[in-house]
Amino acid sequence: MSENQNQPVQTVNAAQLGDLTRSELKQLETKEKTAMEKTLETVTLALPVVCGIVALLEYLLLPNYARNYDPFTYVYVLCAFIAAYIIYLAVGVIRRKAGNFATYEKVHYRAPLFAALFLFLAVYDYLTLKTGTLTQPFVPCMNFILNAFLKDYMMLIDCTINTLKLLFIGYTIGVSLGLVTGITCGYSKKARYWVDPVIKFLGPIPTSTWVPVTMVVAGSLFGGAVFIIALGSWFAVTVASMTGIGNVDKDFFEAAETLGASKRQMVFRVAIPHAMPSILQGCTQAMSSSCVALMIAEMLGVKSGLGWYMTWQSGWASYDKMFAALFVICFIFTIVTKCLERIKRHVLRWQNGGEK
Amino acid sequence: MDKKVVLKLENVSKSFAKVESDEVTHALQDVNVTMESGEFVSLVGPSGCGKSTILRLVAGLITPTLGKVSVDGVEVEKPSPNRGVVFQKPTLFPWLTVEKNIAFSLDMQGKLKGNEDKVEHMIKMIGLENFKDDYPAQLSGGMAQRVSLVRTLINEPEILLLDEPLGALDAFTRMHMQDEILNIWSEKKQLALMVTHDVDEAIYMGTRVLVMDANPGRIIADIKIDESFPRDRSSASFVEYRNDILNKLHFAGKKNK
Ligand SMILES: Nc1ncnc2c1ncn2[C@@H]1O[C@H](COP(=O)(O)OP(=O)(O)OP(=O)(O)O)[C@@H](O)[C@H]1O
Ligand SMILES: [Mg+2]
Repeated sequence: MSENQNQPVQTVNAAQLGDLTRSELKQLETKEKTAMEKTLETVTLALPVVCGIVALLEYLLLPNYARNYDPFTYVYVLCAFIAAYIIYLAVGVIRRKAGNFATYEKVHYRAPLFAALFLFLAVYDYLTLKTGTLTQPFVPCMNFILNAFLKDYMMLIDCTINTLKLLFIGYTIGVSLGLVTGITCGYSKKARYWVDPVIKFLGPIPTSTWVPVTMVVAGSLFGGAVFIIALGSWFAVTVASMTGIGNVDKDFFEAAETLGASKRQMVFRVAIPHAMPSILQGCTQAMSSSCVALMIAEMLGVKSGLGWYMTWQSGWASYDKMFAALFVICFIFTIVTKCLERIKRHVLRWQNGGEK
Repeated sequence: MDKKVVLKLENVSKSFAKVESDEVTHALQDVNVTMESGEFVSLVGPSGCGKSTILRLVAGLITPTLGKVSVDGVEVEKPSPNRGVVFQKPTLFPWLTVEKNIAFSLDMQGKLKGNEDKVEHMIKMIGLENFKDDYPAQLSGGMAQRVSLVRTLINEPEILLLDEPLGALDAFTRMHMQDEILNIWSEKKQLALMVTHDVDEAIYMGTRVLVMDANPGRIIADIKIDESFPRDRSSASFVEYRNDILNKLHFAGKKNK
């Protein structure tokens, strides 16, 4: 067992356990891999590269169904993706040699997904550019979308900034107000008496209902959009923090009280930290409702932003540009969600008892 | 303890209204008892006889229906760090590390600055130096209870209230903790009032045992344990005390049926 080069830490004896790091401990506790498992691991790691090459060959070798233009954009992007994966893999392998297994394990874990992505690209290209099975020009091939992106990127950046501005302003206002009402109502019965009916009344109404109303009532379209976005996030955060604070175990308050905490400290040092998981859950929910409200607002009224750009381009039958904007939207929302996830993990690190 | 305190319960009754019906539970009826610094008072009795209620009254978490709870003649109205409570569940704040949990009360009272060594001392006392940056979820039950104990002790309370502090521990850890608590208590000789289900524990640790009975909750015996520490659980006098108390509890149990 000790000369297995995959697991250099196997030679540790019990007396040395005290100096182990977390990743060494993990390695020590995993069983030795069989030859079969090792081959499977190598195949898994190579799979994305193979699939990437398949996608590349499919694009370059098969005859086109319709006319293509600037054909190499897609090739460059595909190659860049494959190269990125190879670099990622290399970093993982090098780090593993140095005793750090985390990156390598991540690459290994994600490799099948990357492979599937390349396969999807190949299939998508086959169904659009190569055979026209998906109706042209409504579903443009990836090369067209990339070209559209290159051609119109100034405008897309401009729209992205507008979208983010609207999202950020609406979300911040909504979440801040939601925290204030939620925490107040969670703590004070009197406040809940007045706010509860408002929540019960507003809660079941879908955000989109408000769009026509605010378009008429609000002075500016921008203001109206901010209102809609803020309303949705306010609602989500209020409800989540209210329940979060309401669920704080009475024992914690009693303990804090006998330890000399004031009323104010009981709110800020006991109730809020205890309700944090629920509050952050509300913030995440608020983000997704904000995104929905944002898109509705941009598609129906506001004359800027990615949502508007999409409707506008589809009006001109520029479906490639429409899809380009769609990808930008997906990208932005993924990043935003990821950031929230990170914050949540950091703030709530006490929850998972250390072991990840 | 440099300062002697006297805790007095005078004609204390406490009743609770039930949530579901119009009935009232008489948790305590006409309790009269006086204790002072230097005593370690054990409180035993059947479940539901009002042991926790007495502790919570003294802590100031609830107020008596009738009668008066006072410390040095001053009526108890609300909780104070001078009357420290160790609850049956450790109730450590899960979002704070061991160190921050122990420092919590100093922090709340704005006394943390300049007292960091006190926190350090407490961590050392319970032997958890290697765990001070861990969160409570990573501690064993015994460790958590020790943290909870020093979290209260760091205030140097004049009165230490312990509500079955060792109830959730295994027999081995439990005996170890009994000695640990006695050690801490013997240093300052504050007034300690401990609820327990375990008659042996009550005699082993107490300078005085209060035996209670239920329906209505009241004190039926007040027994002084005249033995020096450490005590021998198998000595003749220990067994005698135990038989005496068990008899009283047993007798009390029969009478209720
Ligand atoms: N907050 C409360 N509301 C209503 N009834 C209560 C409340 N606290 C205690 N009681 C009642 O008072 C009585 C005494 O309760 P207490 O908790 O003091 O018992 P105990 O002696 O500590 O019992 P145990 O040994 O099981 O902990 C019980 O009948 C209980 O139902
Ligand atoms: Mg109790």
